Amino acid sequence: MDDDASSSSFPVRHKNFSLHIKENKTDIVICSYDDHFLVIATQIGTMGTIMHARKEEGMLNSPTFNVSVIFGKRDEPMLQACARQLIEHISNAGSSKPLTISLGLKDHSMETLKGIVSAVIENRFW
Amino acid sequence: MDFVRHTSTVESSSADDIVQDVQKLGIIKEVGTKITCFSDIFNDIPIHFQIISFPKQIYVWIGCHTARFGSLYAAASTRRNNIVSVTSLLGGSSDNTGSGIARRVVLKTGVPVTLSCNIPKDSPMLEAHAEKKLIQKLISLGYTKPKPQVVTC
Repeated sequence: MDDDASSSSFPVRHKNFSLHIKENKTDIVICSYDDHFLVIATQIGTMGTIMHARKEEGMLNSPTFNVSVIFGKRDEPMLQACARQLIEHISNAGSSKPLTISLGLKDHSMETLKGIVSAVIENRFW
Repeated sequence: MDFVRHTSTVESSSADDIVQDVQKLGIIKEVGTKITCFSDIFNDIPIHFQIISFPKQIYVWIGCHTARFGSLYAAASTRRNNIVSVTSLLGGSSDNTGSGIARRVVLKTGVPVTLSCNIPKDSPMLEAHAEKKLIQKLISLGYTKPKPQVVTC
């Protein structure tokens, strides 16, 4: 099911779609607010672990990024790596908006997280 | 990468045969993610609502004037005594506008809630109106907390 509300008059654009990753049905929601991106990917019926990722403007030419877990599992580096990849992609696209990403997954394998990153990038708003 | 788009061919058959075949499969309807967006006006102020319904949780965004993300809160019932706890995840002003809404939504629906809200502080009437509209919509979507069963001796 693919639901794109980018053409409606509602001020927040969103996309809602599902796909199978390693035979697990994965619902993905992407929202674009004025000052923020929100990505939710769930296989378990809840939002799962919520992370906040932002670009930090520094003195160096290359930007640095900060990823922090604000709710849920704090000992799953693959989840944070997923957030890190997406915030870097957002930054490379020219946007300085921070990202809140929520992952409720049955497994934290690299294949699953790569699948989520690919699906989000393919349906991005940045 | 394939997203969910299916094409299929169905051989001609009577409607009763098709219904029986489907029932034999024992398919359970999957409840996925649903997004509900609507807007309201209070004293010429536009208020926007976004409800993302997951099978076991709700995410809500309330926007006042703008589509800024606002402060993020999480609220849920505790296991032991059904008291609702709420915590600020992002932002959160000193009066925690929005945290009260999150808490009362959990009380009404019995479902864990993550809520982001950019309602300005010191706007109790606006906050109350937004909460009322949100609760009305959640009830229309089928979110009502089952009443506790009364045991008589």
